[in-house]
Amino acid sequence: MAIHTSISTSEFGDKARRELLHLLEQVRGKKNLVIARCLAAPLNLFVKFSTLQEYGVDRVFFVENSNVDSSQRNVIFLARGDKSKHVTAIAEQIRMLRHNGQVDHEFSVLWVPRRTLVSDQIFEEAGVLGEVNVHEYPLYFMPLADDLLSLELDDAFKDLYLWQDPSAIFTSAKALMLMQQKHGLFPRIIGKGDNAKRLADLLVRMRSEISADDESGGAGSSMLDLAPSQSIESLIIIDREVDFPTILLTQLTYEGLIDEFYGIASNQTEIDYATVGAAPTPAGSSSTAASQSLKRKIPLDATDALYATLRDSNCAVVGPILSGVARRLQSTSDRNNIAAKTTAELREFVKELPGYQAEQASLKLHTNLAGEIINRTGSDIFSRVLEVQQNIAAGADPTTQHESIEELIARDVPLPTILRLLCIESTVSNGIRPRDLENFKKAILQGYGYQHLLTLSALERMGLLIPRIGGGLVGASAGPIGKTTNYNSVRKTLNMILDDVNETEPDDVAYVFSGYAPLSVRLAQCIVQKQYLINLTTQKGTNAPAAAASTAAQGWRPFEDTVRQIRGATFDEAQLGDEKAVRARQIINGSERDSGKTVVVFFLGGVCRAEVAALRFVAKQLKEEGRGKKLLICTTGVLTGDRVVEAAIEKRSFAN
Amino acid sequence: MSKPTANWDKVGDRFYRKIQLYSDVFDADLELENYLIAGAPYSGAVAFHRDEERVQTYRGNQTSKASIDIYSCAGKLIRRINWDQGPIKGLGWSEDEKLLVVTNDGTVRVYEGLQTDFVPFTLGHGAEEHGVLSCSFYSTGFVALLGNNHLIEVSRYDEPRPHLLATAPDQAVVSWTLISPADSLSRSVEVLLAIGQTIYVVDASEAEDRGLDKGPFQHISVSPNGRFVALYTIDGKVWVVSSDFQDQLSEYDTKSKTNPKDMQWCGNDSVVLAWEDEVHLIGPNGSATKYFYDGWVHLIPDYDGIRLFTNEVCEFLQKVPDVTEEVFSLGSTAPASVLLDAMDQLDKKSPKADDDIQLIRQSLDEAVDVCVRAAGHEFSIHFQKQLLKAASFGKSVLDLYNSDDFVDMCETLRVLNAVRFYEVGLPLSYDQYIRLTPERLIERLINRNEYLLALRISDYLRLPTDRIHVHWASQKVRVSTEPEDAICRLIVQKLHGKRGVSFEEIARAAHDEGRQKLATDLLNYEPRAGKQVPLLLSMQEDVIALDKAIESGDTDLVYYVLLSLKKKLPLATFFRTINSRPVATALVESSAWEEDQDMLKDLYYQDDRRLDGANLLLMESLDQTDNQHRIDKIKFASKLLVDSKEFTSQKAALDEIPRLLKHQVTYEKDFSPGFVGLSINATIYKLIRLGALKRAQKLQSDFKVPERTFWWLRLRALVAKRDWTELEEISKVKKSPIGWEPFFSEVLGAGNLRVASGFVGKCTGLRVQERAEMYVKCGMVGKAAEELLKGKDLEGLRELRGKAGGRELGEVERAIKVLESGKR
Repeated sequence: MAIHTSISTSEFGDKARRELLHLLEQVRGKKNLVIARCLAAPLNLFVKFSTLQEYGVDRVFFVENSNVDSSQRNVIFLARGDKSKHVTAIAEQIRMLRHNGQVDHEFSVLWVPRRTLVSDQIFEEAGVLGEVNVHEYPLYFMPLADDLLSLELDDAFKDLYLWQDPSAIFTSAKALMLMQQKHGLFPRIIGKGDNAKRLADLLVRMRSEISADDESGGAGSSMLDLAPSQSIESLIIIDREVDFPTILLTQLTYEGLIDEFYGIASNQTEIDYATVGAAPTPAGSSSTAASQSLKRKIPLDATDALYATLRDSNCAVVGPILSGVARRLQSTSDRNNIAAKTTAELREFVKELPGYQAEQASLKLHTNLAGEIINRTGSDIFSRVLEVQQNIAAGADPTTQHESIEELIARDVPLPTILRLLCIESTVSNGIRPRDLENFKKAILQGYGYQHLLTLSALERMGLLIPRIGGGLVGASAGPIGKTTNYNSVRKTLNMILDDVNETEPDDVAYVFSGYAPLSVRLAQCIVQKQYLINLTTQKGTNAPAAAASTAAQGWRPFEDTVRQIRGATFDEAQLGDEKAVRARQIINGSERDSGKTVVVFFLGGVCRAEVAALRFVAKQLKEEGRGKKLLICTTGVLTGDRVVEAAIEKRSFAN
Repeated sequence: MSKPTANWDKVGDRFYRKIQLYSDVFDADLELENYLIAGAPYSGAVAFHRDEERVQTYRGNQTSKASIDIYSCAGKLIRRINWDQGPIKGLGWSEDEKLLVVTNDGTVRVYEGLQTDFVPFTLGHGAEEHGVLSCSFYSTGFVALLGNNHLIEVSRYDEPRPHLLATAPDQAVVSWTLISPADSLSRSVEVLLAIGQTIYVVDASEAEDRGLDKGPFQHISVSPNGRFVALYTIDGKVWVVSSDFQDQLSEYDTKSKTNPKDMQWCGNDSVVLAWEDEVHLIGPNGSATKYFYDGWVHLIPDYDGIRLFTNEVCEFLQKVPDVTEEVFSLGSTAPASVLLDAMDQLDKKSPKADDDIQLIRQSLDEAVDVCVRAAGHEFSIHFQKQLLKAASFGKSVLDLYNSDDFVDMCETLRVLNAVRFYEVGLPLSYDQYIRLTPERLIERLINRNEYLLALRISDYLRLPTDRIHVHWASQKVRVSTEPEDAICRLIVQKLHGKRGVSFEEIARAAHDEGRQKLATDLLNYEPRAGKQVPLLLSMQEDVIALDKAIESGDTDLVYYVLLSLKKKLPLATFFRTINSRPVATALVESSAWEEDQDMLKDLYYQDDRRLDGANLLLMESLDQTDNQHRIDKIKFASKLLVDSKEFTSQKAALDEIPRLLKHQVTYEKDFSPGFVGLSINATIYKLIRLGALKRAQKLQSDFKVPERTFWWLRLRALVAKRDWTELEEISKVKKSPIGWEPFFSEVLGAGNLRVASGFVGKCTGLRVQERAEMYVKCGMVGKAAEELLKGKDLEGLRELRGKAGGRELGEVERAIKVLESGKR
């Protein structure tokens, strides 16, 4: 363990698969698997159903349906141990099976990611603890892409910001600790936001607890494991709270728009057949399944080379890329047709044929999909919404946009869209003028129903939609430092609005929102791309913060002043590790190399696809600069603006 | 010094050796034949229990009390457990030296770590009615055979879950054993039952008859690696077969008329049969040797050999390891043997030493390796030294040699010799030590209270020492009679600041011992907040437990404390407790929101959080299906807000709900169902679609819906209704609060070009070009040309030419001409 290899995300998937299969293997014979719905899609990321079958899984049920039958003697439940709802449901089902079945069942429960005291207690009260084999299944990070890890905690945002429930922070800390145990301590933990601070504190605390922990006191954690990592440069934690507007804006990358329009759950989206055509099924096997639903499941990941090039592009250039690919495929197939071939050439051609076919299929799929998306983005309402968003983000007086918003309400635009607009205004300008807010609230209640009194109250609780205190002018609305963000100032110093961003050949992260650079990404740039950011700001002639600062500066320097104007705690801590161990390792490894290190960017509360795209762009720039730094993005879950406001939206209505 | 081969015996073509580990083991009075004996694996402790069913010499009343005695291999009494629980049907050990005692009624007592009290559990599955007949143990679990031939498996002891294996035929079981999960092909336990003529193999899912006909088998035994099975038939033959019963490997006829009392494996290639005072060792291919004793002999099989207990001695019988044989066997010409000889010559200062070295020059490194390994297998310190010396000599001749193995072996031997010392009594062989691992050896030393030795060895092998410290301190807390302050001071002084020391565990020991004050004091030194919580709860320190749980950041712990607090405290006190702790309040709220709304109501009431209370009522009203109930709830909610100024708007909104519902009920009566539950906008829209404009307007004014909204709703409803006449009617109105473009685009979107075009002219706010564009969209190029002509836009007109055709082209041309002429 002395030499820490660099992190690859696939290792997380491999580990998760290995552990799951091992746990399944422990139950002899055929078994029925009952899983919580929220785990179904994530599971799909790293294990195939056919593999589960090889390990004796006969049928799969959902916990939520509570329809598991007695067809197999062995029943395995797989659910989150920290969700008392799941726990109670499972206890109930075990009791049910026990009572009405003639079969003498063997029950096992796998708790993800850990067994909780509360789950034990609920089981005990239900009287089932004694006959259930309880195991832990420590499933934390799951790989969504080769640079993106997610905990896939669907409720993390709601828990954190609506309920102020810090469970997600604890789970994140656990996950990061596991990473540290494998790859060494993060030499530096730096971040922004109150919850982020809590997470960092927890990491420090857990570190001291782990060195006091007897369980791992054996061969597992030697001194070397607690030394700073060789492969990781730092951990940047960004609290979603620091940058709400970004997540609320409409993402304009291809992948972002797919997520906005159709939703992507663990790299899978479901789209109408009418839009994308039938799946290229090899046999009639899946046609029966297809007839049941009108949706087609489409996996979206980088194994599809075409998608890998498309996903992070601004939707404006997706069309040209697709037609370029189409032309290339056309010309290769043409050339292949006309040329009189030697057998060798022919063999070569045939060998590549499956590749062509896959590419053709993917091209067809994405042409259809992109066509539909461009259609949607061309609609009147979409452009109206986008206009309002961009104006507010760019710092226009929000009151000029109110008429548009009112009109959109009258036109019965879906509620999430409206709420996003209002929340953007509220978060950018530290609240909406109370009188205006009252009017909007009234309009929303009239337009969408009175049940949304609850929605509005939840949004206020989350700090997304609040009345401006003092009710002053927009510019003067900088609240107390640390509690609110002074966007007017930050927008300038961090150069968040670039009107002339090039969407085809992106020159700045702002391309993902067609001119707005996400604050979250700018913050990351403050740490990993100091010189670039300084150049950007001085170029524009704005007041650059201490341009003389060297790029070698660490932490937030030279952006401390700017960062201070953003809400939430700011922190920057070095983890030095045990001095003896460090010195020992220096002797072993010689002088430290600086290149090739990974910077882990953790988004607490969620990240959107556009931000991921922007960070990938940053990573690409870093690579071009030749500094060999890598970025690894980790998050509690992938969000869109709709998912954010839906955390607050009351789903019931007075209709029976 | 006697020869190393003195205790060797040839069995077939292999050598076996019997090493005397300890002498004067047991008291001569101890009647071994009357005892049930079980030995822990890896030369661990041995448990004795007097077999109640046998007759015994009367010795007055001092021995009549039943007990389980735990001895070390050297015969040192480690612990005596008084026993009054009736006959013992299973006595065994787990790999980590937990003693397991199974009684007739299916109760299992787990004695962990030699010193502590037991933890009981019951087998269930009918064990109570049918009684346990016997048990068979493996490294982490055991199987019990019941009176009705049912088999119950327990696969772990930390959370025992006894479960029933498949049912075997209900005939008398002659003998039985098991293949442990680690060794079986199926990775789960397999039980071999000798029933009638044959053997049944039973696992969790099925009982399979192996179809043998040589039975009944008096004894059955599985080799340590699980690959072979030895069977003893009624006519005195021993059969060795592979554990899948496919191959028969060897056969041996004991010619004995009496049934041996035990049959066990010695390593993986020989079987040992024991009669009262006679032992047969049967090697491969039916070769055998016999040993005779003066008294009763007990067999305790281990991984790489077998231990033999008599009153006088404890012996270890094993196959001579290959390397040892290579070095020591008579007339061996192996390089290692020559190297050993060279060493001897060197001691005698004879030049032959060099001759020897030259002889084996080519394979000297191999010879060194063999000597090092052979040293490991040696129990006699003298020969260990000889071999290591030879190795050391050999490697000094070599130019390049990696001494790691040599150094490791020296360390290992030091440790082995230390623990083999009779007062410690752990006669580990090298192979056992490797399998046991140093960490677990330390564990065993701790269990024997050999703290100093454990510490020394840990330091020597660079292992963590925290467990030793904690165990020592816990023991101290349990037995020390000093004042509590002094104990605490002593422990803290010794252990504070040491890595990995869990004060929580020590505190728990103090708590279990009833020393509350000491427990509290010690707990303060525990660095892990989370660890303290369960203990604090059991010490009734609820509030501190809550704070510590919050401090740990582990929400599960917080929930856990909250649950127990809620059960314990009156509600009001509970609320007061969580009130000052935001995290606790948040967790209570978020969980209660879904599970226990009544409690939440009380919480909001006590905290005077009126808006939240009102929201809760609103939510409840959403869950109601009856309108009147809903209205009642909402009125109640509104009442909550009546006195507070800050919530006037919310209250107003709440008050509107019943009004709207009443309207909607009426509409449902008058028109059609589907109104209740709609928003005001949707209601207006629906009314207009149904043609009830008047009612819609009434609703608008009732609820002060803005004029612009209303117009939009009307427009959309009419378009949806395709009520073109009405729309054309509207177009005659002078002014629209939303302008006329929406009318144009909505109607156009619905596909009615004619009506849409009617609105173009009213869009006076737009530029001519835009209006022209609008006309083009309606397919009226002529009109567009007219517009452009009005605006004198020559460029636009020229562009327009492309879109025009037929008659319209003429109009466009004409307009262009007009403009061109106008220019000139």
